[in-house]
Amino acid sequence: MSRKVAIIGIGITPFRARYLDKTYFELAYDATKLALEDANNNGAEITHHNLESTVYGIYNELFERQFMPDIFINSYIGMNNKPGTRIASGGATGGYTVRMAYSEVASGLSDLCLCLGVEKCNDCYDEQTGVTTPEVLNAIAYSADMTYEYPMGMMAASSYVSMVNAHFEEFGNPTEEQMAYVSVKNHGNAMLNSKAQSPMEVTVEDVLNSRIICYPFKMLDCCLYSEGSAALILASEEKVRELKIENPIWITGVGAANTDCFIGNREDMGRLYSNIYAAKAAYKMAELDYNKIKNQIDLAELHDAFSGQEVISYEELGFVPFGEGGSWIEKTFEKPGEGPWREGELPCCPSGGLIGCGHAVGATGIMSTGEAALQLRGEAGKHQVSIEKGRAISHSIGGPGAAYAAVIVMANKEGLK
Amino acid sequence: MTENFQNHQIRDRIKIEYRYTMGGQSKFFIEIMKNKKLFGTKCAKCGKTWMPPRINCSDCYKPAEWVELKQTGTIQVSTIVWYTTSAFIKAIPYGIGFIKLDGAETALFQGIFSENLVPSKIKKGKRVKAVFNKEREGKMTDFFFVPEDEYENWISQPEFEGGV
Repeated sequence: MSRKVAIIGIGITPFRARYLDKTYFELAYDATKLALEDANNNGAEITHHNLESTVYGIYNELFERQFMPDIFINSYIGMNNKPGTRIASGGATGGYTVRMAYSEVASGLSDLCLCLGVEKCNDCYDEQTGVTTPEVLNAIAYSADMTYEYPMGMMAASSYVSMVNAHFEEFGNPTEEQMAYVSVKNHGNAMLNSKAQSPMEVTVEDVLNSRIICYPFKMLDCCLYSEGSAALILASEEKVRELKIENPIWITGVGAANTDCFIGNREDMGRLYSNIYAAKAAYKMAELDYNKIKNQIDLAELHDAFSGQEVISYEELGFVPFGEGGSWIEKTFEKPGEGPWREGELPCCPSGGLIGCGHAVGATGIMSTGEAALQLRGEAGKHQVSIEKGRAISHSIGGPGAAYAAVIVMANKEGLK
Repeated sequence: MTENFQNHQIRDRIKIEYRYTMGGQSKFFIEIMKNKKLFGTKCAKCGKTWMPPRINCSDCYKPAEWVELKQTGTIQVSTIVWYTTSAFIKAIPYGIGFIKLDGAETALFQGIFSENLVPSKIKKGKRVKAVFNKEREGKMTDFFFVPEDEYENWISQPEFEGGV
């Protein structure tokens, strides 16, 4: 019988284009310190000495210019002589790290576990063009199959766009305008989030007129790579009581799945079965219904690395039927109480998501889980959305062809299924 | 710390050299290099044809046999890349997509070249044919696909040739 697990501390550094004044292990230290302070503000009286283990989420050795970066963080945050495990699952690293940290506590291995993600991508630098981005993209492109895909110029955007284009061929959406609405929403939501990298008031026309990256994705359809760190402190039910935590956020469901990393092997290229299986597993564990989930949760922090992918995720995560994701966001524009907008029936990415906050890969899914938890506490600040049902989800995807997926379900009351 | 922060950056590069074996897939690359042929594999039990080839069927855990595939196929999905990695930035714009060769059940990721590179020219359902470099090294970059109606033009260029 697994044990109940709660998030009792949340620490998120601002996501920025570049921290010249911090290394990756210094950023990780900052997030850990913030999470400890948050736990102590909520009734705990703990230091890092009380943390029994760490699960690290760090995607890319080439970003950090260091193999096994976790062990160097382990030293810097004062966690020597305790177990530490690293997760690396592409863009889904954060969600998978939350899942494994949950397992660490639910299994009884630890009563207090640190779930810590970090990434520092913009130390990569392309000497040829004198800017960082092409070299950052190259460091990511090594995630594609190195024999059959990388040599033909595969990269993150061209990988994700394949699913979006196949979905468009099947359902006639998402259109370029419908994708642009996601960009408008998430850049706009980020304006209320002081930790976001890309707060911007943009119009559909601005998105459509931004530079083409990879047909039909434009610049403003894409998240920016970011630097930052996020940490959660997870506690067992017994520890929550012992420490007299005032506002634990219970993790009630974790689900993950990997679909075929070779897009060409997929019978159906227009949807990510990893999302569907991960969502169904997480909802089942939380005793929620895939077909009614939209009415069972207050918000969703989605993995909007690319605007079109968010639209498809509405369908794969069960919010709307297949083929209706594009119209769900488009037709609800300027209709309070509907769609995925801030005031809508199911706010998606109220933090700004990846498009608004940036994508500090290993930290991202931990940031979005922490953001959802802050919302459930009613402590999200200016971007707080209405909490009635007391449940939220976070969603992470990544890897070649976005093969990895993880979904986390949270609740703000014990026993709330 | 109260002292004013001064930033320090160090330039560096990670470089590793390889001579990596393609193991059980070696025949695929040798056939491209020597004979301009595209070989997939077919599972001895379920009959699934794998491309890229796998000498073991991942579905039923039985060996798969080599089979020569046609060099024509259909685009399943594609895109045109206008901004990319440092390794390919000089090549933009370029077309890429997943092509299901006639007789295969999985689709191969490859470059799709066209004299008129626009989305409609390389969209889903368009027929394409493989063109090979005259100088081949036994790598995926030894060949690419072009729209069938451009095939003769491409293979008439001095650096390219048609398959067998």
